[in-house]
Amino acid sequence: MAERKSIEETKTALHDVVREMYDRIVKGEPPTMTLPVRTKNNIGFDAKLGVYKYGRKQTIRDATSLGSAKQLLRALHVIEFIESMIDDGKSSTLREMYYISEGWGLGKFQSQNESNNLAEDLEIVTRCLREDFKLRPEEDGARMIGNLTLRERNRRGEWMRINARDDVGDSGYGVPYNVEAEKIEFLEHDVNFIMAIETGGMFDRLVENGFDEDFKCALLHLKGQPARSTRRIMKRMSEEWDLPVVVFLDGDPWSFRIFASIAYGAIKTAHISEYLATPTSTYLGITADDILAYDLPSDDLSKKDIEALNAELSDPRFADGWWQEQINMMLEVGKKAEQQSLAKYGLDFVTETYLPEKLQALGL
Amino acid sequence: MSIAEKMAANQKQVAISEFFEKNKHFLGFDTLNRALITAVKEAVDNALDACEEARILPDIIVKISKLDNKKDILQVEVEDNGPGIPRASIAKVFGQLLFGSRFHAIRQSRGQQGIGITGVVMYSQLTTGDPTHVESKIAKEATAVSVDIGLDTRKNKAIKSNQDRIDWGEKVHGLRIRTTMKAKYQRGRQSVWQYLRMTSIVNPHADILFIDPDGEKHHWQRVTERLPGRVEAIKPHPKGIELGQLQRLCSESTESRMTTFLRRTFSGVSQRAAKELCEVSELEEKLKPKSLSAQQVRALLEAFQGERQLKGKSVKLLNPPTSCLSPIEELLIKKGLSKTIDSKFVTTMTRAPSVAQGNPFQVEVGLIFGEGMTADKPVEILRFANRVPLMYQQGGCLLTKAIESVDWRQYGLDQAGGRGVPKGPAAILVHLASTNVQFTSEAKEALSDNETVMEEARKAMLEMGRGLRKHLEKQKKMGKTKEKFELINDIIPAIAEKSASLLELPVPDLAASITKIMSAVIAETTTTWNKATKQTDVHITLYNYTSRARSYTMLVNWPERQGASMVNNNLGGRKEAMGVWAWKLETLQPGVQTVISYSLADLEKGDWNETDVFYRGSQEVIGATKMDEKLLEEIRRQEEALNAPLPEDDEPLDVNESSDDESVDESEPNAPPSDTMQTTLFGGDY
Ligand SMILES: Nc1ncnc2c1ncn2[C@@H]1O[C@H](COP(=O)(O)OP(=O)(O)O)[C@@H](O)[C@H]1O
Ligand SMILES: [Mg+2]
Repeated sequence: MAERKSIEETKTALHDVVREMYDRIVKGEPPTMTLPVRTKNNIGFDAKLGVYKYGRKQTIRDATSLGSAKQLLRALHVIEFIESMIDDGKSSTLREMYYISEGWGLGKFQSQNESNNLAEDLEIVTRCLREDFKLRPEEDGARMIGNLTLRERNRRGEWMRINARDDVGDSGYGVPYNVEAEKIEFLEHDVNFIMAIETGGMFDRLVENGFDEDFKCALLHLKGQPARSTRRIMKRMSEEWDLPVVVFLDGDPWSFRIFASIAYGAIKTAHISEYLATPTSTYLGITADDILAYDLPSDDLSKKDIEALNAELSDPRFADGWWQEQINMMLEVGKKAEQQSLAKYGLDFVTETYLPEKLQALGL
Repeated sequence: MSIAEKMAANQKQVAISEFFEKNKHFLGFDTLNRALITAVKEAVDNALDACEEARILPDIIVKISKLDNKKDILQVEVEDNGPGIPRASIAKVFGQLLFGSRFHAIRQSRGQQGIGITGVVMYSQLTTGDPTHVESKIAKEATAVSVDIGLDTRKNKAIKSNQDRIDWGEKVHGLRIRTTMKAKYQRGRQSVWQYLRMTSIVNPHADILFIDPDGEKHHWQRVTERLPGRVEAIKPHPKGIELGQLQRLCSESTESRMTTFLRRTFSGVSQRAAKELCEVSELEEKLKPKSLSAQQVRALLEAFQGERQLKGKSVKLLNPPTSCLSPIEELLIKKGLSKTIDSKFVTTMTRAPSVAQGNPFQVEVGLIFGEGMTADKPVEILRFANRVPLMYQQGGCLLTKAIESVDWRQYGLDQAGGRGVPKGPAAILVHLASTNVQFTSEAKEALSDNETVMEEARKAMLEMGRGLRKHLEKQKKMGKTKEKFELINDIIPAIAEKSASLLELPVPDLAASITKIMSAVIAETTTTWNKATKQTDVHITLYNYTSRARSYTMLVNWPERQGASMVNNNLGGRKEAMGVWAWKLETLQPGVQTVISYSLADLEKGDWNETDVFYRGSQEVIGATKMDEKLLEEIRRQEEALNAPLPEDDEPLDVNESSDDESVDESEPNAPPSDTMQTTLFGGDY
């Protein structure tokens, strides 16, 4: 489904949302907006797509309470704004839209979060992408290093050929917010797999140690919870180049969630999971048993950590045996460890011992 | 024997200064901070008492300045506009311990609580060696007396020096004193500032200006021109008398018959009771009181206390009159509290006077709640006895215990385990007015336990708590109503317009969806002070946002008891009970609005800022409260109680829940007006 929509399709989809509200008023009913429930209770595995998607549970946001009515009004303002951007050939960031909403009177947003959520709501009900809405995220994309060649269309509309090893500095190739075919095309590569890394410190360590060349791989810095464009580019590379993706994160409950969002889809964006998730990706570490096996320096789990782990136990994305085991083990040990705790054994330990061992276990 | 009496008895053997030194603690001079507060308190209490007696609105100035930083020497100046003290009395007032009025009359006065102003003069002399400077002007003399007063502690006599007459310019009468003493000025809960602030709360008729040692001015303005009611001295009641006192009354009596003695000397003793008292104590009626033996006096006391009985019953005595009490009264507590604490909601409660062990007393409470106060700390407790702030020993005081005994959680305050001082953005005031305030110790800072007083205080708290809960519920409801109005007046029309313009279609009609959304009758009430007419205007607008015609009885509370009158009442209506007015609205058509409006005359600005609206009817009215018929019943009962003689005891309420609909009893209650301040069932909201 997540096919790109034409301008006309986008507008029609948006107008359908407006229609719902208008028709209800004409019928003498409070205006409404119907959308799927966006919690972990309403995501299910789509076997065909291999990712988690929203289920059938719908909520009807109706204008009988002030809060919901304001949401509807805001949605109308956002739709009007999107239409004017489409017509004028402009785009704006979500943050810009938030500030622009200052002029929307009663429809103004109270927080940036509110405007981000509403943009997502509209994506969900219209089955469009925010790129179709000309809305850009504030989040910056990942950086990448490795022997990959792609071309990117620059501001002047010209294609630029870039090799992510030879044409870039130490910080790597910066992934733009739009990584769709109209913006980026993949040309060729000479790597065996892609490794996604949570922290900048670890990314830089692997770069400095020449890990990408020694192990013939591409390194990708996730910057914590990965942005949509980061997940999308991983997905495209893995699909179009048929490359395995391994994910190297801290060993804590939050990293487990990062992995789930990469591999199975995030709850917030389950409407476009098939477009963002890389079901073939593998969790490399830090695992709960690594903490014990490598005797890593660790911290006690906080109350929040424990709550998060318990929530994960009932999250359908972690339903498989391996994850249940990992989560329970972490709860039992009561510890978490950072990627960089591997430095306990020296700066080269990660590239010379830990990663080779882990990769070998995965058969890479 | 009280400490003062002890002092009087002792003064011949010991130098008074020595006694003073030993008993500093009881007298309020034990620490340098407390000595300062005590000094200010003695002078200010006197000023307030004198003004009250002379029916003058007090203007009081208190100034504290540093003289010598190192030695903790401060100068205290207090000036009032009271009647002044005649030249001949000055030496006695300031130079003779125990000269005061407090031992003579049984009535409520501030003076009863301290050692008197002479104690201040003495403390000053003991710590600095200096005399106290006094200036006094009485209205009939052209000039003021100026004199320095020192003490001859052996003879309990004043030593006057520098006596002179000075010109006071415009000022017609008043008193000024200036004294130096070893003392420390502190801020906080126990400070001169706090004492004056509390004093101004319970004396809203006073204007108090305080200049602190840094020269900073704190001004508590007068918020009412109404002076506290005149208090009368009453005769002692047999139930409140002690042996020593009875002995003295007998031996000093010039009456020739026991029965006349009993009737004339005591309150609550009828001719019949006098005879019966004689009978049970085995005294001849024609006996001379003076001639009673110690044993006979004891027998009489036993009769007083009901230990000697007539046919198994103690002699029936009437309650003492309560005219000797001077409560602050609800409206003034409201004003006093809101002038020093900046917050919107105040609820108050003045209980009817009651009697404990022959002593008339009355409990008043007030609670102020809202923004501007810290939410996560224990509430501020403001304790008063006979309008005098109690600032020390909070924990051991009956008034604090009464607060702690209430489960405040049910009224919207935080309280760990439902006990102790509650937490929240609030301050609670408790005032005990009594002819005989019982303290835990001579320091006179905490009230001692007394079941009857405790019970009254608790009842008052519960009543007030209900006021708070009602306010909070109302706030919530009002918020809800406001939201609904914003929804239908602003948001829905905006949605209709925007969706129409995006679709390039005509704006649809909203009436039907608005009715669906609201499906309720809504009341909007405003209570505003009208500067031009000097009246409080009340408007209640009712909108029927349902699809059917409706009928209701709408009711409001109004300060009838406080002397207001209702004018320009557009829809007429009728009196439902004291302070409750009702309008029967036969038909409210769908989509139509009805306005009830009236004005309240004979009130001051700020007396009445919020009106509670109630309804009787089957469908909810947003913005009004369903009439609690129990509450109405209670008001009627209280009215009846007020018109009956003073109740011995308040019976607990036990009224069955009335049915909800229109069919409930609407008969006109016969409610003769009463001028007594009593339970305010609605009047909590300010
Ligand atoms: N500021 C004042 N103005 C007028 N009279 C005063 C003033 N201060 C004291 N007095 C008179 O002096 C008397 C003695 O005062 P004090 O020693 O404080 O005892 P008490 O206050 O108990 O009467 C008072 O009862 C009052 O008659
Ligand atoms: Mg006094």
